[in-house]
Amino acid sequence: MVNGYLPTTLKEALELLNEHNLRIVAGGTDMLVQHHNLKTLPIDFKQDVLYIANIPELQGITEDDEYIRIGACEPLESILEHPATPKLLKDTIIEMASPAIRHSGTLGGNIGNASPAGDSLVPLYLMNAALEIQSIEGTRTVDIKEFITGVRKIALKPNELITKIILDKVEFTKAIFKKVGPRRSDAISKLSFAGAITIQDNKITDLRFAFGSVNITVVRHPEIECNYITKTVEELKQSVDDIVGAYQNFIRPIDDQRSNKAYRKQVSLNLLRDFIVTL
Amino acid sequence: MSDISKSIRKTDAAEKISGQAKYVADLKFDHILHALTVRSRIPSGIIKNIILPDLPNGYYSVDASDVPGKNVVKIILEDQPIFPKTEVTYLHEPILLIVGPDKAKVKELVNQVQIEYEETTPVFEWVDSVIHYHFEKGDGSKPFTKANRIIQYDYETGYQEQAYIEPQGFVGYTEDEKVTLVGSIQCPYYVKNAVIQALGTTEDQVRVIQPSIGGAFGGKEEFPSLMACQLAVALRKIKQPISMMYDREEDMLVTTKRHPAKIHFEAALDESNHIQSIRTNVGIDGGANTGLSGVVLSRALIACTGAYTIDHLDVSGDVFRTNTVPNGAFRGFGAPQMYFAIEMFMEHIALDLGVDPVTFRHNHLAKQGDHTSTNGTFRDPIIMDEMIEKAMEISDFKAKRKLYDDPKSNRGIGMSWFFHGCGFTGSGEANIIKAKVRLHKEKDGTVQILVAAVDMGQGIRTTLRKVVSQILEIPIQQVVFDFPDTDKVPDSGPTVASRTMMIVGGLVARAAKTMKERWQETSFTVEKQYEQPSYIKFDEETFQGDAYPAYSWGINILEVEVDPVTYQVSVLHAWSVYDVGKAIDERIVLGQADGGLAQGVAYGYLEVMRHESGVLKQKNMTDYIIPTAMDAPTMETVLYENPYAYGPYGAKGVGELTLVGGAPAVAQAIEQAVKQRITKIPATPEYLMELVNNG
Repeated sequence: MVNGYLPTTLKEALELLNEHNLRIVAGGTDMLVQHHNLKTLPIDFKQDVLYIANIPELQGITEDDEYIRIGACEPLESILEHPATPKLLKDTIIEMASPAIRHSGTLGGNIGNASPAGDSLVPLYLMNAALEIQSIEGTRTVDIKEFITGVRKIALKPNELITKIILDKVEFTKAIFKKVGPRRSDAISKLSFAGAITIQDNKITDLRFAFGSVNITVVRHPEIECNYITKTVEELKQSVDDIVGAYQNFIRPIDDQRSNKAYRKQVSLNLLRDFIVTL
Repeated sequence: MSDISKSIRKTDAAEKISGQAKYVADLKFDHILHALTVRSRIPSGIIKNIILPDLPNGYYSVDASDVPGKNVVKIILEDQPIFPKTEVTYLHEPILLIVGPDKAKVKELVNQVQIEYEETTPVFEWVDSVIHYHFEKGDGSKPFTKANRIIQYDYETGYQEQAYIEPQGFVGYTEDEKVTLVGSIQCPYYVKNAVIQALGTTEDQVRVIQPSIGGAFGGKEEFPSLMACQLAVALRKIKQPISMMYDREEDMLVTTKRHPAKIHFEAALDESNHIQSIRTNVGIDGGANTGLSGVVLSRALIACTGAYTIDHLDVSGDVFRTNTVPNGAFRGFGAPQMYFAIEMFMEHIALDLGVDPVTFRHNHLAKQGDHTSTNGTFRDPIIMDEMIEKAMEISDFKAKRKLYDDPKSNRGIGMSWFFHGCGFTGSGEANIIKAKVRLHKEKDGTVQILVAAVDMGQGIRTTLRKVVSQILEIPIQQVVFDFPDTDKVPDSGPTVASRTMMIVGGLVARAAKTMKERWQETSFTVEKQYEQPSYIKFDEETFQGDAYPAYSWGINILEVEVDPVTYQVSVLHAWSVYDVGKAIDERIVLGQADGGLAQGVAYGYLEVMRHESGVLKQKNMTDYIIPTAMDAPTMETVLYENPYAYGPYGAKGVGELTLVGGAPAVAQAIEQAVKQRITKIPATPEYLMELVNNG
């Protein structure tokens, strides 16, 4: 028998987290599947549960001159519809699951779940997303790449909660997200890719690539990207083999029930190449 | 009288849309117990010891020692135990049931059962042939000795899961010694007869009732007999209502699937590029039990020439036993595997010869009067010429074929020609099924249709009523077709093999005509029994004669685009032309056409299921990918009328025809787009990448 807690304020939620060992459930769209049970039996949670989807402080989207802040429990579908949401994130969310699941699923949940196939993680890594984390002891901010430490592993203390996702307000000349799933909608990715570039006066001022589902977490390597800052697009295109080669060793996918290593690797690199050569 | 093809609202549309339809899981009983299954954790071995946990009061175990009758599930070939005594032959094979009032407790007890095995080496290779068939037409070998050219190819097809919306389930209860089972089934009398044998009882002691069914696709043909026997044994022991419902994952792991197949083809061609002889060898993976596999293999072998006439044939095939989940009935029943292979083979021969595939195929197309692969005769008119012309016209096939041959094009268009033999293969109807139907007129003029045919979505509750009301010239509301209950309806045979409208409907129409002659009588019953048309003679041993009473024909054309970066396939458009004799309800036939094609096309490129050492890798609807509306192409379907003398209003089979041509049409379209030969389905992006890489 497990207990479920349904706080209505952030303060209450943080106090409960501080007092008890709780499994946090946001939209529950993956958590409930992971703990599914025989039909007619209740969900098979192994520990007490904190349901956070009803907390107003965890919802909403705000923006100022520098940042966009997305409440951790803001449903994906609302993020998709919000005018402040960066286009790259919208282009990603529209590819996620189905409308029904997007009305329940949250961005905070997708991050906390830390699945290697979590689609939103790819643009969030690319956009250098930061996470606001709270506990009764206070608030801290952490980069997403520091926060996700492995397959379904996150740097979150038992009494902490992800409260906001913070994105820089940045405009790219071109930014794309490409999900490669087994069908056109409502499916878990075989692999995914995001690429973004900013060009000023014919010079590259910003260049970013991120790959999903091909390693324990999102693959992003600023040390490769920065080699091409100040280069022209033509120079970038001429370097395409070098760039693809540079990512070879970082794309380390697995064989599983959805696809295989060879396909995931080759198509990830194909997407990178295609992004560059079609600029 | 209006044309019977004119569509009316489906009988069950309102109850299904409103959620009022009662499926087996909706039926509530007081003091119901729940049965869960303890399953094998190894693919092959001997059970040495079973250690049960202490069962609390009111909890029971049910196993082989409780079976009062014969511990075998009655299917065609009786090699499946209801509960194994000593030997397990596949992973997740059911060993015993735990039954009790609290489902959570039952689940806990199931997990506590310990079984000690002596493991034996499982067989996963296709080496253990349990059924072998061979037949010839003409002289299959001789043309190879003097052939101008011999072309050979090997083809492979994978598993396909039925993926019905409603998983398998039964509830059962007893009244004195009588056992009643209510279940999601296609064949009430298969279940009844299996349970009679399992309980060693008499006909009057077993009753089987069908509620609303959430899809079946063949998956509820023979598998439910296993569950029903287990549940009946439990009911006899415990004598309290028991519910046995599979969850999705259990259902996908343990129920029958489409047989994977490997098909070898050789063709002997003469100087004028005409096929003189085809030699083929077909292997199908039967899984751990043979069940219906032999009949599936027969249908595949008989379909080996596709829609073509080939004068000389040498045809052989095997069912291989492996230590994997048993395979079984699935819409198409052996034909989808064979149509993929023969349609690709015809295309590949033409491409190898450097001749136009459409012309090449057309030169071999079957015509009325031709001999079938088993030396039967296509007696009825074949209107494929007209249908092919129509299909090519509405799809602009010729122009697109030419355009997409451009090396830079990543689009393709493919076309399949096919037929489906309607009803049971061979003499099954006359010798085994012997279908019987009744019509009963009540005093108030209401007419009851008494048949064991199940409406699993294909609309038979609507279309049979249409037939009766039209013949009797009474309003359709006056015709009643309740869910089958074996205490009330005669055995009109199973709801399989595209036979229901043609065979059962044909009998119902005959009964209605007799009823009309006697309409002035107040209350009476008319019964009709199947009589084989006298010209149908088939020798099961030698595969000689007319394997089917009638054939439905079809053409599918599919257009696709393949992403050159990701090798993903987008299915853009589909055009189909069918001859189903006469549509009893046009919209219902079109519904079958859309659904069947979606399922057949997905079989060709999308639906992946594999096992590794007997472990199925895709075991839920997250990992087993079926198409959504987003994946479906636009579909245009044209129906041609070509009435069959013995079908009601000329109707022939519909249900399976619409599936069998999907895979070869989409595979041909994909191969044109990627400029490579496809010899395996599903043609996944992973496989296409491999083909392109290997050039």
